Amino acid sequence: MSNAKLEQLMTSLQEQKLSDGTGLSIEMFDGENSVASIMVEDREEFPIYMTVDEGQILCISYLYGEDEVNPDKRTEMMESMLLMNISIPLSAFSKIGSQYIMFGALSPRSSIDELLHEIELLSDNVLEAIDAVSDYLKEK
Amino acid sequence: MSIFKKLFTAVRGGATEVGEAIVDSQAIRILEQELRDSKTALNDAKTNLTAIMAEKMGVDRKVKDLAEKIKEHEGYAIQAMDKGDEGLALEVANKIAEFEHELNIQQGVCEGYASKITTLKKMIRQTERNIQAMGREISVVKTTEKVQKANELASAKFSGSNSALQSATDSLERIKARQQKREDQSEAALELESEEGTGDLTARLKNAGIVDSDSSGSSVLERLKKQKGNG
Repeated sequence: MSNAKLEQLMTSLQEQKLSDGTGLSIEMFDGENSVASIMVEDREEFPIYMTVDEGQILCISYLYGEDEVNPDKRTEMMESMLLMNISIPLSAFSKIGSQYIMFGALSPRSSIDELLHEIELLSDNVLEAIDAVSDYLKEK
Repeated sequence: MSIFKKLFTAVRGGATEVGEAIVDSQAIRILEQELRDSKTALNDAKTNLTAIMAEKMGVDRKVKDLAEKIKEHEGYAIQAMDKGDEGLALEVANKIAEFEHELNIQQGVCEGYASKITTLKKMIRQTERNIQAMGREISVVKTTEKVQKANELASAKFSGSNSALQSATDSLERIKARQQKREDQSEAALELESEEGTGDLTARLKNAGIVDSDSSGSSVLERLKKQKGNG
């Protein structure tokens, strides 16, 4: 049931562009067809994964792994992320396994416009967030 | 333990390496078992509630019957007194006292059932909410696991064998560079367009004879001669 909803959303998103005309490419990304991968043009490094269940539409983007964090600044980084969380529009920090992520959740009844807005904001937020925490990451 | 706390344990899973399962499947299985147990408990509670409601209805009927009987016998007692039959009246009054005693007991039972029903209904509502929340949260945990797998597939596909070498800051730099390049390109295109635009305008002005088509030495001399002649 959820997968049908996801496919329907993907089809509707396929023809859409972000407000500045940036294109999107969307594909199913797992064997069970339950996760869609949305790539924002020119930002393919940070794909957005979209899933749908009865409760919510989840949009998730991976930021970086634990191995990229400077161990001496880890606690400080965590605190900054917690402090930043509330002021980031529509997105929030979280962690899946050893990966730091940013995500946004929407009602399954959201319109395509709302979903597009979410994708656009999340994509912007991801870049902003990495920029903001880069001081806590390992030096290259 | 609260559902949140259990889930917290489940998603911690102990996995720290990429590729390792992030969700403790054993913990999820336990949660799912608990969800099933809760559903069974909910069904039991509902059956229980129906039974108690049925019993209360029976007691309600008894209370009503007793109240009617008391009223009826009060009538009899008054009639007996009217006839001056004190003995009979006392007998009826004793009967009424018996009924009242029974009524008190049944009313107590009835109140007991009523409060039990309220408690059960509250409990059922709470269990239903818990079941919903549990189902939602298990679903989210499973989703994150799927997303994790998808991300591993994607990063392998996107960056080939170098995925481990590409840091987030590198990616950000690359994206910024691409954005800058794109902006430069569109700026250059805009500049070119405006230059071409002016070029085009000059040509059209020439064609219209508004701008001198070929300003040459001879045309300048011609103009100076005219000026001299006029002056």
